[in-house]
Amino acid sequence: MLRRALQTIAISMLAMLPLAAASQADPAGEVLLTVTGPMAGQAEAEAVQFDLEMLQELGTVEFETSTIWTQGVQTFEGVPLSALVESLGMSGTTLRATAINDYAVDIPISDAVEDGPIIAYKLNGEEMSVRDKGPLWIVYPYDSKKEYQSEVVYSRSIWQLDRIEVIE
Amino acid sequence: MVGKMRSMLGLRLAVLLVAAVVGLVAIALLAFNVSRDLRQLSSASSDNIQWTLSQTEVEFLHFRLALAQVQTNEVPDIRSLRRKFDVFYSRIRTLGQASIYHELRQVEEFARHLAAVGDYLDRAVPIIDSDITAFQAALPALRAETTAIRPSVRRLSVSGLNFFAEDSDFRRNALSNTLKQLAWAIAVLVAALVVLVCYLAVLNAQNVRRRTQAIEASERMNIVTGTSLDAVIVADTWGRILDFNAAAEQIFGHSADAAIGQDLGKLIVPEQYRAAHEAGMARLRERGEKRVVGSGRFKLEALRANGDVFPVELAIQSADTKDGEIFIAFLRDISSQVQAEAELVLARDRAMAGEKAKTDFLATMSHEIRTPLNGLLGNLSLLEDTPLSDKQARYVRNMKISGKLLKNHVSDVLDITKFDAGKLLLHPADMNVSTLLQDIVDSQSGAAEGHGTSLDWAWEGAPVHWIHADRDRLQHILMNIVGNAVKFTKNGSIRITAKADPGPDDTMNLRISVRDNGIGIAAELLPRIFDDFTTGDTSYDRDVGGTGLGLGIAQRFIKALGGSISVDSNPGAGSVFHIDLPVQPIAEPIADRHAQSSGHGARKAHVLLVEDNEINRVVAREMLMAQGHSVTEAHNGREAVDLAEDTAFDIILMDISMPVMDGRSAARAIRAGTGASSQAPIIAVTANAMASEQEAFMADGMNGVLTKPLTRDGLLQLVADHVPASPQEDAPESPRSQYLYDLAEAVGSEALQTLLNRFTTELDAFLENLDAGQNPVAAETAVEAHRIAGSAATFGLAEVREALVGLEQAAQEQDVAAAKAAIRSLREIWASGKPMLSLT
Repeated sequence: MLRRALQTIAISMLAMLPLAAASQADPAGEVLLTVTGPMAGQAEAEAVQFDLEMLQELGTVEFETSTIWTQGVQTFEGVPLSALVESLGMSGTTLRATAINDYAVDIPISDAVEDGPIIAYKLNGEEMSVRDKGPLWIVYPYDSKKEYQSEVVYSRSIWQLDRIEVIE
Repeated sequence: MVGKMRSMLGLRLAVLLVAAVVGLVAIALLAFNVSRDLRQLSSASSDNIQWTLSQTEVEFLHFRLALAQVQTNEVPDIRSLRRKFDVFYSRIRTLGQASIYHELRQVEEFARHLAAVGDYLDRAVPIIDSDITAFQAALPALRAETTAIRPSVRRLSVSGLNFFAEDSDFRRNALSNTLKQLAWAIAVLVAALVVLVCYLAVLNAQNVRRRTQAIEASERMNIVTGTSLDAVIVADTWGRILDFNAAAEQIFGHSADAAIGQDLGKLIVPEQYRAAHEAGMARLRERGEKRVVGSGRFKLEALRANGDVFPVELAIQSADTKDGEIFIAFLRDISSQVQAEAELVLARDRAMAGEKAKTDFLATMSHEIRTPLNGLLGNLSLLEDTPLSDKQARYVRNMKISGKLLKNHVSDVLDITKFDAGKLLLHPADMNVSTLLQDIVDSQSGAAEGHGTSLDWAWEGAPVHWIHADRDRLQHILMNIVGNAVKFTKNGSIRITAKADPGPDDTMNLRISVRDNGIGIAAELLPRIFDDFTTGDTSYDRDVGGTGLGLGIAQRFIKALGGSISVDSNPGAGSVFHIDLPVQPIAEPIADRHAQSSGHGARKAHVLLVEDNEINRVVAREMLMAQGHSVTEAHNGREAVDLAEDTAFDIILMDISMPVMDGRSAARAIRAGTGASSQAPIIAVTANAMASEQEAFMADGMNGVLTKPLTRDGLLQLVADHVPASPQEDAPESPRSQYLYDLAEAVGSEALQTLLNRFTTELDAFLENLDAGQNPVAAETAVEAHRIAGSAATFGLAEVREALVGLEQAAQEQDVAAAKAAIRSLREIWASGKPMLSLT
C-alpha cells in the first residue's frame, strides 16, 4: 500500500518536474525556506526564498513512516530533497540546514536521492505549526531502509527548518 | 579389529565435530548479541538525547530571556517571543510524545516535572496567543509562573540526563559482558580447534605411517611371491586368475600377462579333472563349501602350456578382500620328487627281494648241506661201533670232530638267517640255571684242562635256581662265550659267576659274567667284537680258528631274549663278558624224576622209521637197534600210513620231504584215522628247521621235531622222552631220589622220617590185608590204592605211585588179572624201595 502510494506520488512528481525547474518567481506568501550558496544561474550571494506554494510546485510526495520522536505510524507530505537540489542546480557537496532555534546540521547532497528524505510540510494531512516541529521538517523514510535508522540520520532529521546553505 | 579402530576414530571425530559446531553456534549467538548491541548503540533509538535535554533548558531560558526583554522594551517583539515559546513548546511535546523517551517517561520524577511543565505550557498558550493588550495584562502572571516553573525544567533535564547516563552505563556493561563471553567462546573454540588440529595431525601421521607400512608390506609380499620357488596363483571365486608369479610362469609355461584374467580351470587343470574343478568352484560360490581350501597340502595333477600333465603338491588358502573372497594357491612341481620316490620304492623292493632270495638260499643250502652231513656223521657213528684198529679209530674220531664242527658252522649260519629274517622263535620252559652252568662247565672243562686252565662257576649272592627261559638259546650263548674263553686262555683261569638282582615287577635281572685272564682283546677290535665274521688276530688264533659268527649269534640270541651283552678287556690281562637277561624266577617244579633220570634206559620200543633217503634210514635204524629198539621201515608217507593202520608203534619218526606222500600229509592221515597207531607219538625229522614250519608240524598233529643231522644221543633221548618206561622191563630204580633229600631240607629230617615211617606202616598194612584175602578189585582197594598213591607222589616215589595207580585202575575196571599183576609189581618195587626210606 505504501509502495503503491509512493509510486503514484513519484509519477506525479516526475510529471511536474519541468514546471518546477522553470519557475523561479519571488514568493507571494510567507517565506518558509531560504536557500543560499552556489546554484546554477544564480549569483553567489543571492538567496532563493520559497513559500509553501513554491515548494509544492517542486513536486510533492507522501509516505508513511514511524519516527523516534512520535508515536505510531505518521503520514508525511513534502518536497523531496532531491527535487530541491535538482531544481536549484546545486553544485556543492553539502547542505547546511538550520532551524529556527539556530540548530544546524550538515546533510551531504548525496542523501538527496529518489525515495529519500523529503522536506515535509504536512503531518497526517495537516500543515505543521512551529509547536508541532513545523513549518518544515526534513524527514527520511525511516521504515523503508535500515540505513535511515542511524543516529546520524536522526540528527539530520532537522525540524523547524527555515534555512539551507549549499556548501562547496 | 580394524573396524573397531575405525568406529572409535569416527566417534572421536564426531565428538570433536559436535564440540566445534556447539562452539560455532555459541559464537554465532554471541556475535549476534554483539551486533544487536552495536546496532542499538549505533541506531538507535537514542538520537542525541543529552543534547535534546540540555536544549530543553536552553530553549526555556531563551524564552524566559525574551519574556524579560518584553518588560524592558516599550514595544514588545511579540513575534520573537512567540517563536521562542513555540520552540520550547515543541521541545516539551517531543519529550512527551517521542517513542525514544518512552522509558524516560516511566521515571517518576521526570514524568512529574514533565507534567508540571506541560500544565504550565497549557496555561501559557492562551496568554501567548492573545492580543497585545491582553498579553501585556497577563505578562506579570506569566513571568511569575515562568519563574516558578524553572526548577521543574531544570529537574526535567537533569533527571533525564541521570537516567540516560545509567542507561548508557547499563548498555556498556551489557556489551562488555557480551564481548567477554564472546572472547571466552572464541578462546574455547580456538582451543578446541587446536586440539582438533593436533589430533588430525596425529591421525595424519598415523595414516602416513600405516600407508608406508602397507606399501612396504605389499612390496615385501611381491618380492616374496616373485622369488618364491613355488608357483603362487591368486584367483577369485569365479576362478579368474588375479595374480601369477614368476615361478608359476616357469612351471606352467604361461606368461603372467597372458594368464591374468584367464579361467584357472582352463589354464592349468587337466581336462579329466576340469569338470570336478568346476563343480567344486560352483559349490564354493553357492554354498561356501570348502573342501580343499585351508585343508593343508595335497597332491594333484596339473597341466602345462605344452599340454604335459605333471604331479603337483599344493595348498590353498582363502582371504577376504574388499573385492570379495580370493584364493591363493601355492603349487610345487613334484615331478622329480615323485620319480625319485618311485625309484626308491623300486630299489627297496629289489633289495627286499634280494634279501629274501638270500634267506631262501641260505635255508635251502643249510638243508642241502645237512642231509649229506647227516649221512656222513651217522655212518661215522656206525663205523665206531665196528672193530677198528687204533689208527682207524683215531681217523674216525678226527673225521667226527671235523664233521661236528662243520655241522656247527651250518647251524650257526642257519641261526643267523633265521634271526635276520625275524623267524627266530623262542621256546621258554622251566629250567635250572645252576644245572645249566654246571653242564657247561662239565662240557668245557676237558678242553680247559687241555690248555692248563681252571674252569669253575659260582653264584654271587642268593642263588636263583629255577627260572622260565629258553634253555637251548641260553646254552648256545654260554657255550659260545665260554668256548671262546677256553680257546683264548692258556695256563690261566676262567670263572663264571651268576648274580640275580630284582628287576621290574616280578622279574629278576640275571647277570652271568665270564671272566678269564687270557690274551684279551685288542682295543681296536672291541667295538667290532660282536659283528659277523670278526675274528681275532691271525697270529693269536691261528690254532683256534672259527667262522667269526659265534659272538654275532650270541648277541642275536641275547637280543631275542630281551637282554644285552657287553665286554671289557685288557690285551694280555684277560677279558670279561657280561650277559644281562631279564628272567622270570619260578618255584621249583615237582619234576617227573623218572623221565629225566631214566636216560637212555627206556624200555625197548617198537619204532616206525619213515625216511626216503636210504643212508639216513640205515643210520637211524642202526642207532635205534643198537639200543635194543625194534624198527619197522617205511619209504614214504603212504607206506607209513598203511603200516600205522595195522600195527601199534610206540613212536613214529617221520621225515618231511618225501615222494608219494610227504610227512605232514602222512601225520594228518594217521591222526585222522582210527588205526592201531593213531595215537602214537609222531616226531618230525627235518633238516629245514624253520620255527614257523615247526609250528605247522605241531598243527598237523605231530608231537616234536628232531633236527637233522641225527645224533645218537638226540635220537635215543627223543625215544626215551616219548616212550613211557615199563616198570616190568626196567630195573627198578632206587626210590630214594634227590627229591627226598630236598624234602628233608625243607621240613627237617626228623619230621620227614616220622612221615616216612607212617607211610611205610600204611603201605605194609595195605599189602598184608591183600595177602589176607582182601578182594583185589573191591572198591575199598581202589580207594586205599588212590590214597597211598597220593602219599607216594608226595615223597617222590614215582614207581610205587605208578603201581598203586595201576591197581586202582584195575580195581575200578574189575580186571582181576591186571590187579594181581599190579600187586605183584608193587611188592617187588616196595621190597627194594622200602630200605631206602630210612634217612639215617
